[in-house]
Amino acid sequence: MSKETRFSDEFLNAFVDDQIAAEEKSHAYTEISQDEALNRQVCELRKLRDLVQLAYREPPAPLARTAGQNSHQTRLRFGVAASVLLTLGFVLGNQIRMPATAPSVTAVPAATTQNDEIANRVASPQPVAAVTTPVVARNEILGMTTSKVLIHLARDDADQLSQALDEVESLLKHYRETRQSARVEVVVNGKGLELVRIETSAFAGRIQRLQREYANLTFAACQNTIDRLAREQKIIVRLLPGVITIDSGMAEIMRRHNQGWAYLQV
Amino acid sequence: MDLLDFFLRSREAERALEQARARLYRVAYAWCHSAALADDLVQETLAKALRKSSQLRDQKARDAWLFTILANCYRDHFRKTREMDDIDEIEISHETTPESESSRTEIVGLVRATIARLPQAQRQVVTLVDLEGFSYVEVSQILEVPIGTVMSRLCRARNAMKAMLLPAMQQNPATNRAIRRVK
Repeated sequence: MSKETRFSDEFLNAFVDDQIAAEEKSHAYTEISQDEALNRQVCELRKLRDLVQLAYREPPAPLARTAGQNSHQTRLRFGVAASVLLTLGFVLGNQIRMPATAPSVTAVPAATTQNDEIANRVASPQPVAAVTTPVVARNEILGMTTSKVLIHLARDDADQLSQALDEVESLLKHYRETRQSARVEVVVNGKGLELVRIETSAFAGRIQRLQREYANLTFAACQNTIDRLAREQKIIVRLLPGVITIDSGMAEIMRRHNQGWAYLQV
Repeated sequence: MDLLDFFLRSREAERALEQARARLYRVAYAWCHSAALADDLVQETLAKALRKSSQLRDQKARDAWLFTILANCYRDHFRKTREMDDIDEIEISHETTPESESSRTEIVGLVRATIARLPQAQRQVVTLVDLEGFSYVEVSQILEVPIGTVMSRLCRARNAMKAMLLPAMQQNPATNRAIRRVK
């Protein structure tokens, strides 16, 4: 029996973590120190342990509410994009459900044009409205078993955000009713971060309800934006429960793009 | 006199809880990678610990007791928010892979991204052992799983980390940087 098989992975972990009896440890120590492969394994395990300790030696400080910032927020008013987002949501949902037939969405002519594009697997995106532009490889999602949609919010207009959440909910409801596997990720950066901040979000309850109801929904906040707020405006951001952070909103969009996610920008 | 003893013991317990805050926060953050959620979990843990402090007979077991409460709070949080998910299988949606993280020069980000990609159950075990130095027996009590499960989870976690992290680190110039100066 080789030493590698005699010393199982579990044993080596216990050896590194000092979880075996002293007598057994001294015996194992002698054998391990004489075997290069085992030595390397033990070194790697110790290195991993050191790295974990290093990674969390200084976790981000607990965030605190910053007083007096909420009341001064001026909310911009836009209402155009959300209605188009609604249409796009249904278009994508219908296309995924019935890829062979063109859905009968006729409310917005531009969206009908998009359906044709999707059916024909035309990859180049066309602007639909002044504010909303689908960008990513919609044709790819037609062949996917799990539909993946990234919704990008970069503005803090309350009406727009409210309608965007309507669309997110409609989309998720549609997928659930049609028993389709789907993932929806809402990426917020720039002023869109207001949506998921405890101090500023006008939709905290609704977001939490959506997260409770739909396990396939993720809200992701851009760490770069959070850092910028701290640096430039001295605002310490607290995110709503369940909202995750990503290193960069733009990097996330690119990653999702490469993974074949559909992309909707508001 | 008994009343004075009780008062002093209570004060001592409160001080001990306060001192444990940073350690609880560090582990909670390693589990969820959200400063806000980690802070909330620690607050809830300390509040429960204060309420139940009379239940703690052996002061030496305080650490394991506190982390047991934290693990329960964390489990309850996910029960409330993700009723359909099995907590043991949850991975944080940290889609930055070790490969993509390697473009950063920060080794900390790389390791955190790797930890975030581990299944929840493995992440809890590896952080309790590596960050807090709990024995396998204590981790088994904290997470309420058999010790064999602790060992196998730890083993799988480290194997996964090794596979994800070490190759990425070899490509990351930051990790190969030689020390030029000490102090």
